[in-house]
Amino acid sequence: MRKQTTIDLSISLVLVLAFVALPHFYSNLTILFMMAMYMVLSQGVNLLYGLTGYMPFGYVGFFGAGAYGFSIALQHLHFPIVLALIFGVLFTSLVGVILSPLLRLSGAYFAIGNLATSQVIYGIVANSHLQGITGGGDGVDISQYFNQTASYYVMLAVLLVVMVGIIWVKRSSFGLSLQAMRDDSVSVAMSGVNVVRNRMLVWLASAAIAGLCGAIYAWFISFFYPSSVFDVSIGIFAIVFMLFGGQGTIFGPVIGTIILYGIYNVIGVSTPQYFQLAYGVLIVILVMFLPNGVLSLFKRGRRAHGRVLESRPNF
Amino acid sequence: MDMKNKVLVSVVSAVGLAALVAGCGTVSGASGSNGSSSSNVITIGTLYASTGSYATSSMPEYAGLTFWANQVNAQGGVTLSNGKKEKVKIVSMDDQSNATTATTEYNQLITQDKVNVLVTDFGSVLTAPAVPIAQEHKVVLFDQSGTGSNFFTPTNKYIVLTSLQESTLWADSLAQDLIKNNTKNIAIVYADNDFDGTQNNTVVSQLAKAGIKPMIDESVPTSTSNYTTIVHNIDQKNPGAIIELGYQPNDTAFLQAYKASGVKVPIVFTIFPGQLPAIFESQFGASGLAGVSTYPTPPFINVQNVNYGMNLTQFESAFKSAESSLPGHPTGPINFLDVAGYNTGLIIQHTLESAKSLSQSNLRAAVDTFSGKITTLDGNFQINSEGAQVGEALPTGHFVYQNGKLSMVVDAN
Repeated sequence: MRKQTTIDLSISLVLVLAFVALPHFYSNLTILFMMAMYMVLSQGVNLLYGLTGYMPFGYVGFFGAGAYGFSIALQHLHFPIVLALIFGVLFTSLVGVILSPLLRLSGAYFAIGNLATSQVIYGIVANSHLQGITGGGDGVDISQYFNQTASYYVMLAVLLVVMVGIIWVKRSSFGLSLQAMRDDSVSVAMSGVNVVRNRMLVWLASAAIAGLCGAIYAWFISFFYPSSVFDVSIGIFAIVFMLFGGQGTIFGPVIGTIILYGIYNVIGVSTPQYFQLAYGVLIVILVMFLPNGVLSLFKRGRRAHGRVLESRPNF
Repeated sequence: MDMKNKVLVSVVSAVGLAALVAGCGTVSGASGSNGSSSSNVITIGTLYASTGSYATSSMPEYAGLTFWANQVNAQGGVTLSNGKKEKVKIVSMDDQSNATTATTEYNQLITQDKVNVLVTDFGSVLTAPAVPIAQEHKVVLFDQSGTGSNFFTPTNKYIVLTSLQESTLWADSLAQDLIKNNTKNIAIVYADNDFDGTQNNTVVSQLAKAGIKPMIDESVPTSTSNYTTIVHNIDQKNPGAIIELGYQPNDTAFLQAYKASGVKVPIVFTIFPGQLPAIFESQFGASGLAGVSTYPTPPFINVQNVNYGMNLTQFESAFKSAESSLPGHPTGPINFLDVAGYNTGLIIQHTLESAKSLSQSNLRAAVDTFSGKITTLDGNFQINSEGAQVGEALPTGHFVYQNGKLSMVVDAN
């Protein structure tokens, strides 16, 4: 187990180091930033859905809340960047606490309820009556803090921390309890696990990850409207990348993001019609033949290999 | 997964990441650098939205810009200050009305394609991501129609608004028209975005100076697609005018609700019927637009004394005959956004002709040399020290339907 953890940590470190090196070979920092950001966001979804079974279709609500929490801290509280990022996370966590009754729902009801609440947050932020605080529909201009390079490296640091966190959760008894809760929460509760507390912790951790991503994204672009940071497609992308790679796995969201976001940038931008068709077909194939994601292919291969060894005649 | 598989997955991912990053955006790539052109071609980088909520406005603007490029190239190119003629090449990417995608693509145009001239997509939402990036890279941003007042600041020397006034100025004529007619019981409904919010602020403040307070001044989410309840609520208060400020989908949804409700109000104002009349005519019929007030723009306004580029008649004729070669294959009568795209091209052309070199600082300095001196089919081009357009004034007007024909009567300048 310890050896496995060391390998996982090493791969995570190599991944982040690759991102550190890439700007020296490729100067479009936005693509690299977005790829790292989606990896973190997918891990946030992975934490919630992969380990507890709650599908957050409105995940972008936390992302947008983080972006606005960060901006408010900069513009109105005049915090330095680091404190503003922390404020963004705390603000998102507060939103998470307020929305925690959603956890009483499950399945499709939770997914729809979560989507609806994200739109409610969007509506509140964009409302002209809050213009003095959020900027309302006029958007946010924090361009005096614009620093793409610094925000990129902060995002990489967050990616590393989140990867380490996911590895720890997967290996810990806490993570096992989450997976058990996903399968049968009643039995787990009867075994003495505090189901409500654990669910709440994961919910808040997942919200904080999205909030931190939103805050760094706001810093990265520094000029945005509510529609830019509450764009539902941001949350949907994170979910699809996680599902494609493999839910509940450590590297599934990373693989999913590299493949799908890469494809999106290569062909989705130039020929969106073909891309949407290709994306649609890919997702249908995924759901039908690989419901556990691309990484499950390797597990299948490993099991098949094991069966071959077992059935081999013992001479 | 065992270790062997993990290593395999890691290697495949690393190779995939490198390959994908290397391939990003190369489809529409172009050579050159921000400081000089190569192969006698000046690259114009721009974005357009073929799908999504801004497609109906973005595509005509893109067609207008492409039309200009084709016209210039047919004449051998742009004559630079050194007497050399160089052709232009549009390097374009589709942002699908998505601001996040637009952010990536603006960066791509600057850092990978190294275009000589950077042009924004339609509207403030798709312009906003470009503003700090262009400023950071010291690239002049030719902003076609992103009129948000936040973009124009004393610290940003790298933006030029080409084809529309800054949005705080838009509603001046509307407010003056309401004051002149001594309109009572004014109801304003505006979409909560920068473009419409600033216009609302202008109207309200101008009316306040005349001692008029709107009886209703409410915002709605920009995504609002049903105004039925809002229209009925306003009707309860016996309004003298309903001013609806939104993007084209808002205006369509509002007019649909207004027509369906059977409510009759003396003045109904919306923004986009004056810019995209063909779309609204197809939705409501020519007679259905009768009486609707709007901002008339070219071709409803025929600017006189044009001293740079085609006049309206020449443009209409040439654009119609070039339709099949333009993106989106526009059909039917020309609209304002076709004109706006063409006008952006003209401003770029005059900039290139006037600049001492293709360096970005010289391009920006060149714009100041002809600001206020040229009149195109879009009006007098004049920017202030922050790059915001203060010429090209928008009047108000209303549609008239007579003898089966829709026309425009200008009310206030």
